[in-house]
Formats: sequence, C-alpha cells, structure tokens
Amino acid sequence: MTSILEVKNLSKSFRGRRDWPWSPKSVALEPTSFTLAAGETLAIMGETGSGKSTLAKLVAGVDNPTSGDIYLNGQKLYDANTKQRCQNIRMIFQDSEKSLNSQRTIGQQLEEPLIFNTRQTAQERQNTVKQTLRKVGLLAEHYEFYPHMLSTGQKQRVAIARAISLEPQIIVADEALVALDPSVRAQIINLMLDLQQDMGISYIFVTHSPQIVKHIADKILILYRGKMITFEKTEHLLNKPQQPYVEQLLHEHL
Amino acid sequence: MDMLDIRNLTIELDMPQGRVRILDRVNLQLKAGEIHSIVGESGSGKSLLAKAIIGVINPAWRVTADRLWWNGQDLLAMDAKARRFVTGRDMAMIFQDPAAYLDPNNTIEQQINEAIPSGDVTGTFLRRRIDRKTRVRQLLHRVGVRDHEKVLKSYPFELSEGIAQKVSIAIAIAHRPKLLIADEPTTAMEPSTRDQIQRLITKLAMSQDMSVLLITQDVASILPATQYLTLLYCGQLMETGKASALLQAPAHPYTQSMIDMSLQSQHELPRKSRLPTLPGAVPTLRHMPIGCRLGPRCPYAQKQCVKAPPAATREQQLFHCHYPLNEPTS
Repeated sequence: MTSILEVKNLSKSFRGRRDWPWSPKSVALEPTSFTLAAGETLAIMGETGSGKSTLAKLVAGVDNPTSGDIYLNGQKLYDANTKQRCQNIRMIFQDSEKSLNSQRTIGQQLEEPLIFNTRQTAQERQNTVKQTLRKVGLLAEHYEFYPHMLSTGQKQRVAIARAISLEPQIIVADEALVALDPSVRAQIINLMLDLQQDMGISYIFVTHSPQIVKHIADKILILYRGKMITFEKTEHLLNKPQQPYVEQLLHEHL
Repeated sequence: MDMLDIRNLTIELDMPQGRVRILDRVNLQLKAGEIHSIVGESGSGKSLLAKAIIGVINPAWRVTADRLWWNGQDLLAMDAKARRFVTGRDMAMIFQDPAAYLDPNNTIEQQINEAIPSGDVTGTFLRRRIDRKTRVRQLLHRVGVRDHEKVLKSYPFELSEGIAQKVSIAIAIAHRPKLLIADEPTTAMEPSTRDQIQRLITKLAMSQDMSVLLITQDVASILPATQYLTLLYCGQLMETGKASALLQAPAHPYTQSMIDMSLQSQHELPRKSRLPTLPGAVPTLRHMPIGCRLGPRCPYAQKQCVKAPPAATREQQLFHCHYPLNEPTS
C-alpha cells in the first residue's frame, strides 16, 4: 500500500514570552516521522503532556511546526497553501457542543467549508450538505435545525459531517470519543468505521482509551515527553513484551 | 439496619406540556461501609438522585418519597436548618471536574484548612493554628500526595487533574463523613490516573468505614470493589442488585447492552467490526415514552412494554422488565 501521508522530522518547541535567541526553549515535540496509508487508522497515545495533541494539531495545520515537513500524496504541504490542507485534512474536536456555533443553523455551518474551499453555487452547496447529513445518519431536514435542538450524539454526527463534506483523505480526531455516553460512543465508532470503508478515509485518533485503540487502530504511535518511542502495527505491538510505559498505556482496566 | 434508605423517590417537574417525572420511583438502600455504584447515561437522573440525597434541590422540583431516611431520621420531614446540619456532618460529595470546582483564588492549603471542622481543634490561638497545619498535611498524606509542601502552596490551575481530584477528596474527607457521593470522579481521565483515584476511594471506604455512592456513565468505570450496582435509564430504575450477580447474568436488556457497550468485552470481537449498540438516542424530557422508557430502543420490546413493568426479583437482583433475560432454567 502506498502512503498518502508522510511526516518527516516534524518538531515543535515553544519559547517564553520573550523570543530572544538565548531564551530557553521548551520542546513540546521532538522530531517525529511516520507514514499513513489510505484507509488506515493511526492511534496516537501517550500520557498527559506527552505532545500527542501537539502532533495532531501540527498535522491538521492548526499550529505551525518549528521544523520538519509533511507530504501529502508525495506533495509537500506549505503553510501558505491552506486550501489544499483544508480540503484533504480535516479535524474533529473533543467537545462537539462547543465546536458548533449555537446561533447559526446546522446547514449554514456545514456550508461554510464549501464556501471557502469549492466553487459550488448556493443550490449545489445545499444539496451537498443534505447528502452529507444523510451519510452520517441524520435527515435532510436537520439542515434547518439549530444545535440546541439536537442530542449530544447528533451533534457529534454534525461535527463528523462537517469534516467529511469536502471528501477529505485524512480526518484527525482529538479525543473525540472520550466524554460520550457508551451507546452514543459505540454508534459514533460504527459510523466512523462505515465511512472509512465507504470513502477510504484515513483516521488519526488521539486517545487514551486502550480499548478503543485495540478495536480500531491499524498502527499505534506512542509518545513519551515529546519523544516518539514506538510506531508499529497494532498486532505486532500487542503480541510482544513491552517497556513498562507502553504496557501501562495499553493495560486494560480491570 | 440500612444507613440510607430510599423508597419510591420521585421527582417531578412542571413543564408546559404537564408534569413530567424526571425520577420515577427509585429505591436505594445503603449500609455502613458499603460501596454502591449507580450507572446511567446522560439524562438518566443519576446526578439528580445524588442532589436529592444531599438536599441541593431546585424549588421547581417536586420531591416526594415514601421514605428518605438517613440513620432512621426522615430527611424530608426535617426543616432546612436541621437537614443542612445532618448533611454537613455526615455526607460529602466530589465532582467530575475537580480543577473547576476548587476555588481558583485560594491556595490549596487555605481550602483544605477551611474544610477542617472547628470542633476538631481546641486550645489557644497558637495551638489551634499549629494543629490545623498538621491536620492539613495529614489529610494530604492520607490521599496519597507525597510532595505536600509544593501542592499546598499552589493554586488549582497549577495542579494536574489527578492531584486536583485527590485534593478534592481530601477536602471531602476532612470532617470524616459517613457517606461519600462521588459524581463521575474519573470520567475523561487517563487510565493510570483513573486507576489511582479508584484505588484511593476504595482504600478510604475500607479503612474509614465510609460508604461510597459512586455515579458513573459507564459500566467499565465502576469501582472494582463495588458490592452493589444500580442501573438507571431516563429516571427509571432498570435493575439493581449484587454487582457480581448483575454483571454475570443480567436480567434486564439494558444491563446486558451496557455490558456489551462497555468496550471491555471487545477482544472477542474481530477488529474493526461493528460494535453492539442500542439504536436511537435518549429521549428528551418532552417526549418520554409511556410504560418502560427503554421500550422504543429495546431489542426485546413487545406490545406489553407500554405498561410500566412491576418490580420482579431473582436471587440477588431486582429488576423492572416484562421479558427478562438469562432466566434460570429449572
């Protein structure tokens, strides 16, 4: 399988408020490299403060890296070319309640990425949005709804609809499944697996739930204090003895 | 004798469409030193139950119960002052997001100090000051915080969520309560921190003879040492009983699906296969189904389910269902 995403020596460090050459740097992410093939799922794991969210943000383009390159389909991604990145790499956030604007209808919010990234007419946009809503298990009528009229699970579905409406190749989900009810969480996992099969999307999941990772991930990347310590296929990682840190992360809760 | 004895607790809310029962005839018994877990999805009324017990009640709610007894005293018959005295002396509560519920303007030392009852320290002004200082440090050691000096000087935003939860537990146990109500104390925590907090609560329950009422949304995050388990759905009691019996042979379809969805039984499933789940979503307050509220989502629902099922018992379980699962074959 050819890889669609290739990350080479991506790193991020922060300076304090005063950015002088001699002021101390704190490294959030040391140079990290990995590849991701089409239709694959990568799980990024690590304890709090290990840089897993930083890595996800760098890949999604929310933050600019200090050094390193990202190649999409062999093409280098530049910070300036936001359109290419927006179309192909989308992000889902942890709290769907807060990531939706409560003052605009679902339809208006879902149209926004289409306005910015495509040349569709108003009518075409509306059709695309309605199609996308049906794809994530909602109704076309939800176009007119406001976020407060939907349940938590439906809001999460809207967040996924916003991510897939541009038919991206990669979706980055930052702790998107943590605070959900068990039945809703299972529904959302099923939906994401269905979409992966139908559209061949690759996922990058940032999560700390070993159960979810074992179920959906093809590859696991483990970070420890900003350093990548393993990047391996899930079966390999689960079937061999591990360092204590990895063991602790993957250990099932009794 | 039961320490906490709740019979048919009902909370009703007046809505434009009429009166809605947000908690429907819930029973709960708790003995001293017991650990009891309540499991329910959002909107199941599990936090409401906790609020009714500690008496944080919205005036718009109509709370009625056949019995709401604490150590033989009727909590509902008391006036507000007497009730607050009993609650303040015997109960304590911890919440989901500890860093948000600690006071951001005070140091941890001031906050723990404030929670120590004034009856505990006697003597001169100086004596009391020194005693309080040592008590604060003792409390922190009891909840497993080692570098206490650093923690005591910090403000809540400087603490990790695990430490913040430990501090809130230290505040809760400062007056040696008989009942600790933990409202989703470990939701959205990472596994190692969650294990620590769970072990701490279990240890405190055993060493201090304190009962624990743990409220969670997931069967996977109940305390491993929990003795009794209660499942709520939309304000109705689905099933209650001994945790081991309930998890092994659930009688109610809801219990079964909660166990299936808990992501624990997943290694038997092939990877990337569809997970078992309940169809649909939790109904809103305005559109509560009649009869068994699980009805529209239940895979075993039949015509009879529009009538509220009566309580049925099996060895160590009590459940409300017309068509129970795992019937003993005899």
